[in-house]
Amino acid sequence: MSTTEQTGRRSGVGWAVGGVAVVVGLGAIVRYLEQNIPDLTEGTAFGEVAGAIEYPVYAIVLGLLGNVVLTQLGVREKLAGGFRTEFFIKTGLVLLGASINFAVIVSAAGPAIVQAVVLISVVFGFTWWLGGRLDLDDKLRALLASAVSICGVSAAIAAAGAVQAKKEQLAYTASMVIIFALPSIFLLPAAVGWLGLENPVAGAWIGGNIDTTAAVSAAGAIVGEEALQIATIVKTTQNALLGVVAVALTAYFAFSVERTADSARPKARELWERFPKFVLGFLAASIIATIYIGAVGSDVARPYISTVNDLRTIFLILAFVSIGLEFRVAPLKDAGWRPVGVFASATAVNLLVGLGLAVLLFSGFSSGA
Amino acid sequence: MTDATPDDGVRAQRRTALNEDWLATIVGLVILALVLTGVIPAWLVP
Repeated sequence: MSTTEQTGRRSGVGWAVGGVAVVVGLGAIVRYLEQNIPDLTEGTAFGEVAGAIEYPVYAIVLGLLGNVVLTQLGVREKLAGGFRTEFFIKTGLVLLGASINFAVIVSAAGPAIVQAVVLISVVFGFTWWLGGRLDLDDKLRALLASAVSICGVSAAIAAAGAVQAKKEQLAYTASMVIIFALPSIFLLPAAVGWLGLENPVAGAWIGGNIDTTAAVSAAGAIVGEEALQIATIVKTTQNALLGVVAVALTAYFAFSVERTADSARPKARELWERFPKFVLGFLAASIIATIYIGAVGSDVARPYISTVNDLRTIFLILAFVSIGLEFRVAPLKDAGWRPVGVFASATAVNLLVGLGLAVLLFSGFSSGA
Repeated sequence: MTDATPDDGVRAQRRTALNEDWLATIVGLVILALVLTGVIPAWLVP
């Protein structure tokens, strides 16, 4: 490695550390607001509203404000390496596993798997079909269909690797995921109220609909703890199916779209390589906490689990701040209306089919939260 | 957006995603273990 490359790399790491510092700084302000605004505004006109504002709202709004300020200062792109939404959300979700009794995961797994398989098949199929009708590039179709039907940015990254897409196609799809997810964080909890959905149904609907896992957690947290738990189980199930879809796409593109004599046969190992490992952490945390509570008793365990929950909230805050900081509109303008139309139509289909499945599979379900 | 050549940027992002997956799993479970064993006390968490 040349001296210039080493200097460039060190500078990149420095900016990324600066980006993490921005996320942590904004996260600290969010934590302060979440804990103190209801008390500070008690008795004022804002007091009643303040009590109802959940931490994802503060986090995303501050993230968006930080985004505007950093963009104006011309440093947002340089700092972006530190906006690790995926890391923060996955760590938060592993910790969330500790607050869910393993028996709940087992009892929710059946309906969650049925919902995930039906929803992914219908929404992926619809997006792929509509993308074909509108003459989109096959690789972009695969990225959009994976992102909207499975789990947003992670699915787009896995699909991009599977179909060997270009970086611009991945960046475009990731931007679209965030742009659609952001309003969903607020609109879906509002719709839950209008429709009068039970918490488990609301959680299943949110988990099956919002593309990116971080936004699912934000919307679930706004509705409540039980909705957050079910939304996470449903979304985690979709995440777990990511490996299957990625391998299927690899096989399809290798043998049908780009059939060549040296097309590499997808190996079973790829299924494991593309399996999202944090799902194992989520399950392990649930098992560890369930055994721990059984061993020491729920009264002794409660303060410890409460501390784990506080740490989980801190990681989720960092993830939601990162969502706001990462938000970009520009890539959509460059790509024209057709991919946006495909994504919007697929989102509408996802909403309707997801609502039907959530009502069918999760009515009367109880997590005990 | 019709060019179809494989992209190093995509490979790099995929590698980062895979690494973050494991890192998040390890960090999450280590934090859980530290809290349950009392190494991270409640007063330390803001």
